[in-house]
Amino acid sequence: MSERNMNGRTPLLEAQGICKYFGGLKAVENVDMKIYAGDIFGIIGPNGAGKTTFFNMCTGNFQPTKGKIFFDGEEITGMSPETVAQKHIARTFQNLQIFKFMTVLENVKIGCHIKTRSNLADAILHTRAYREDERYTTEKSLEILNRIGLSSYRDTLAGNLSYGTQRKVEIARAMALEPKILLLDEPAAGMNPLETRSLMEFIQSLNADGYTIAVIEHDMKFVMNSCNRILVLNFGQKILEGTPTEVKNNPEVQSAYFGKGMVAGEAIQ
Amino acid sequence: MEYLLNQVVNGVCQGAIYALMAIGYSVIVGVVGMVTFTYGEIMMIGAFGAFYSFQYFGNNLPLAILLAFSSSFLLGIVVYKVCYEKFFNAPRHISLLCTIGFSMLMKNLAQIVFGPETKPMINIIHNETFTLRLAGVAVDFKLLQIIVMLLVVFFAVSLTLFFNRTRWGVALRAVSQNKQAAYLMGINVRRTAMLGNCIGCGFGGIAGILLSIYYYAVSATIWGNFSMKAFSASVLGGLVDLRLSALGGLCMGLIENLGITVSSATFRDVFSFSFLILILIIRPQGFAAKKGSRV
Amino acid sequence: MNKIAAVVNRYRALFLVLVFAVLCALPFVIPKALYVRYACNILMFTTLAGSLNAINGYSGQTCLGQAGFFAIGAYTCAIFSTRFGLDFWLLLPIAGVLAALVGLIVSLPTLKLQGIYLSIVTLGASEIIRIIAQTWTPVTGGALGIKNIPYPWLFGLDTFRPKYYYFIFLIIGVVFLFVTNRVLRSRVGRAWISIREDQIAAKSLGVQTSFYKSLNFMYGAFWAGVIGCAYAPFVNYIEASQFSTDTGFNVLAMIVIGGQGTLVGPIVGSVIVTVLTESLRFLENWRYVIYALIIILMMWLRPQGIAGASHSMLAGGKIKRKPIRKGGAQEHV
Repeated sequence: MSERNMNGRTPLLEAQGICKYFGGLKAVENVDMKIYAGDIFGIIGPNGAGKTTFFNMCTGNFQPTKGKIFFDGEEITGMSPETVAQKHIARTFQNLQIFKFMTVLENVKIGCHIKTRSNLADAILHTRAYREDERYTTEKSLEILNRIGLSSYRDTLAGNLSYGTQRKVEIARAMALEPKILLLDEPAAGMNPLETRSLMEFIQSLNADGYTIAVIEHDMKFVMNSCNRILVLNFGQKILEGTPTEVKNNPEVQSAYFGKGMVAGEAIQ
Repeated sequence: MEYLLNQVVNGVCQGAIYALMAIGYSVIVGVVGMVTFTYGEIMMIGAFGAFYSFQYFGNNLPLAILLAFSSSFLLGIVVYKVCYEKFFNAPRHISLLCTIGFSMLMKNLAQIVFGPETKPMINIIHNETFTLRLAGVAVDFKLLQIIVMLLVVFFAVSLTLFFNRTRWGVALRAVSQNKQAAYLMGINVRRTAMLGNCIGCGFGGIAGILLSIYYYAVSATIWGNFSMKAFSASVLGGLVDLRLSALGGLCMGLIENLGITVSSATFRDVFSFSFLILILIIRPQGFAAKKGSRV
Repeated sequence: MNKIAAVVNRYRALFLVLVFAVLCALPFVIPKALYVRYACNILMFTTLAGSLNAINGYSGQTCLGQAGFFAIGAYTCAIFSTRFGLDFWLLLPIAGVLAALVGLIVSLPTLKLQGIYLSIVTLGASEIIRIIAQTWTPVTGGALGIKNIPYPWLFGLDTFRPKYYYFIFLIIGVVFLFVTNRVLRSRVGRAWISIREDQIAAKSLGVQTSFYKSLNFMYGAFWAGVIGCAYAPFVNYIEASQFSTDTGFNVLAMIVIGGQGTLVGPIVGSVIVTVLTESLRFLENWRYVIYALIIILMMWLRPQGIAGASHSMLAGGKIKRKPIRKGGAQEHV
C-alpha cells in the first residue's frame, strides 16, 4: 500500500527537522514526517513521547523551536491555528474541546465557518450571500451528522452525550472544514472496545472516501490494523517511519515501545 | 529643575505606597488565582480602622497600623468566602462580577455606617520638612514621606521574609505556583488560599492607612478606584511576582507625579491608566520574563 | 416556564406584534409623566444593557467600561448638535461609528490579551474618557457640562415631552433587537458564541478569534454610542459624572441580574433594576446595598442571570446532565 506513495509525489503534510524545546526539556527533537494524500498515518509512542506536542506544531498551536512544516508544498511554520485551519487542516483534541453547551448540530455548524463568507452586513440585511451561507451550513452539517450517524442527537447538548459520542461530535465538527487532512489526537481514548472498533471502521471508511487521516493512538490493534504508515516517537525522537510490518519487525521499536521480551505479534492479536 | 526633583520625591513616596498595594494585590492574585475589584474598599476599611484607632486610642501609629491590618485581614475572610471559595472551578468572570458586587456592597455600606462625608486625618505625623541641598538644587523631604517610605520598606521586607522563611510562607508559595501539586503534597489549598487572600487584604489595609495619612483624609469612596491602580501596578510586575510588582508600583507613582508636572493634577488617573493600556498592548507580561497566563 | 416559552414560540409573530402594540400604547396609558420617564429609562437601559450583553454575553469577554462608549455617544450628540447644529438623526450613526472606533482601539489589546486584562483595559478606557470629558473644558464644557441640547425631530411630535421622546428610545430599541437577533443567527454570531464557549476549539476551526472579538467589541460599542446619542437630548444636560464607572457597573448589574447571553436578559434586567431603584428610593443608600446583594446572590445562585443562557459557559461551566430521551437515539458508527 505504501509503495504507491513513494513515487516521488509531494507529501501532503511534511515536517522537516522539527524541534520543540520547553526550556531545557526537549519535547520533540529533530523529527521528520511525510504524510501523503490518501494515507491513514499513525503516530505512536509511549506516554510523553511528544506526540501531541508534535501535533500541536503541525496545527499551529505551538511554534516549533526549529524546523519547518509544509502543507501541500506550502510552508505553514509559524502560522496561527486559525490560519492553519483555513488551509483545511482539521484536528481533534486529546482532551475533547467540543462546545459542551451547544447542540450537536450547532457544533458542526461552527465547523462550517471557513467554508462560508458572509459578514456582519450580510447578516443584518439578509443578503443573498447570507441566505446561501445559511443553507449551505445547515445542509452540510446535517449531511455530516448523517454520515457519522449522529442525526438523532442533532438537538442534544453535546456535553450531555457519552464520552465516545462526544469524540464523534468532535470528528464531525472537524469534517465540516472539508479537511484535506484530518488530525485525530487519541480518538479512541476513553472508549470501550466496541466503540473503538466501530470508530476504527468509521475512520477506514472515511479514508476510503478520500480523506487523508493522521491519528495518534495508543491502541495497538487500532494502529496496526488500520494505518498504512506509522511514525514511532520515543522521548521526542523519531525511531522509525514505516509500514505496520516494518514497525512490527523493528527491534528498536519493540524494545522502546512494546517492551523487551514481549512479542509484538501478541499485541496485535 | 527643583520642582521636577521634588515631584520625583513625591512620585517615589507615592510609588512606595502603590508598591505596597501592588504587593498585596499580587499576593491575592498569585495565591487565590483570581483578581479582585474589592481592593479599593479593603483599603478603605483599613483606613477607617486606623481612623477610629486614632480617634479612640490617640495618636499611636503602630497600633493604628495593626488595627488597619487586622480589620482588612478579617474583611479578607469575608471576601474569600463570598467571592472566591465557591468559584474555583467556575469561569473567571463569575468571581470577577462577584467582587464587583462586593465592592458596591462595601462602598454603600460604608457610606451608611461611616457617613458620606470626608473625614480629616491630620497631624498624625508632625509636619516637618527637611531640605537637602545638592549642587545648588534644593530638594524637600517631608517627615511624613520619609516615615511612609520606611514603613513600606519594612513591610515589604517582612513579607518577603515571611514568604521565604516560614512554613506558611512556603505553603503559600506552593499554592501560588501550582494548586494541584500543592494539594497532592498535603497542603490545605483552600485554607492557604484564604490566608493568602487575607494577607494580601491586610497589606491593602496598610496601604490604605498610609494613603490616608499621605492625603490627610479618609472617606467611604476615597480609595474606590485604587483597586485599578493596584491592579495596574501588579500587571506591570507580571501580576504574580512580588518584587516586580513593587517595582511596578514605584513606576506608577513616578509616572503619575511626573505626568502631572506637565499638565494638571486632574489628569493623574489618565496618566496611570494610559500607561497601563500602553503596557498591556506592548508588553502584557510587564517586567516579568514570561507571560502571566494563569489569570 | 418552559410552557410559556413554548406558547410564545408558537405564536411568535403574533406575540411580538402584541408586545409592540402595548409598548406603543404605553406612554398614553401611563397617567403620570414621571412614570413615562421611567419607561423611557427602561427602554434606554434596555438598549445600553443589550449592547453590553452583546459583548459580555455573546463573545464572553468581560467588558466593564460600557459607560465610556455611552459617554462618547452622548458627547458626540451634545457637541455637534449644540455647536454645529447637526441633526439628531444624522448624529445617531455618527455617534455609533465614533464609539465603535473607540471600541476598536480599546479592543486592540485583545489581539494579545484575554480575560481579566481586557476587563481592566475597558475599565481604564472608560475612566480616561470620563476624565477627559471632565477636564477638556473648551470642548466638553468640563465640570459644567453641556446644556440645552436640542430635542430631536420626530414627525413633528413634541419630543420635549417624555411621552413622545419615548418613541425615539422605542425605535432604537426595536432596531437594536432586530439587528442583533439577525447577527446572532448568522455566521458572525456563531463565531462569537464559539469564542465564548471555547477559544481553543474556535481557533482550531478557523475562526479568527482576534478579528471576531474586535468586531464584537465594535458592535457593542456602536450601540452604546447610538443610545448615548439618544440619551443626551433626553436629559438635555450632560456632564462627566453621569458616565462614571458606577454607571458602567449599573449597566453591568442589569445584565448580571437580567441575564447574559440572551436577548431577553437585558430587557428583564433593565426593568428590574430601574423599577427597584425607583421604587426603593425611600431606602436612600440602602437600595444600593440591596442592589449589590442581589448581584452577589445572582452570582451564587444563577450566574447567567434570571433570563440568561442556561446552556452556556456563563452558567458556571457545569452542565446539568439530562437523561437522553430513549428510542430515537441510535449510534451506528
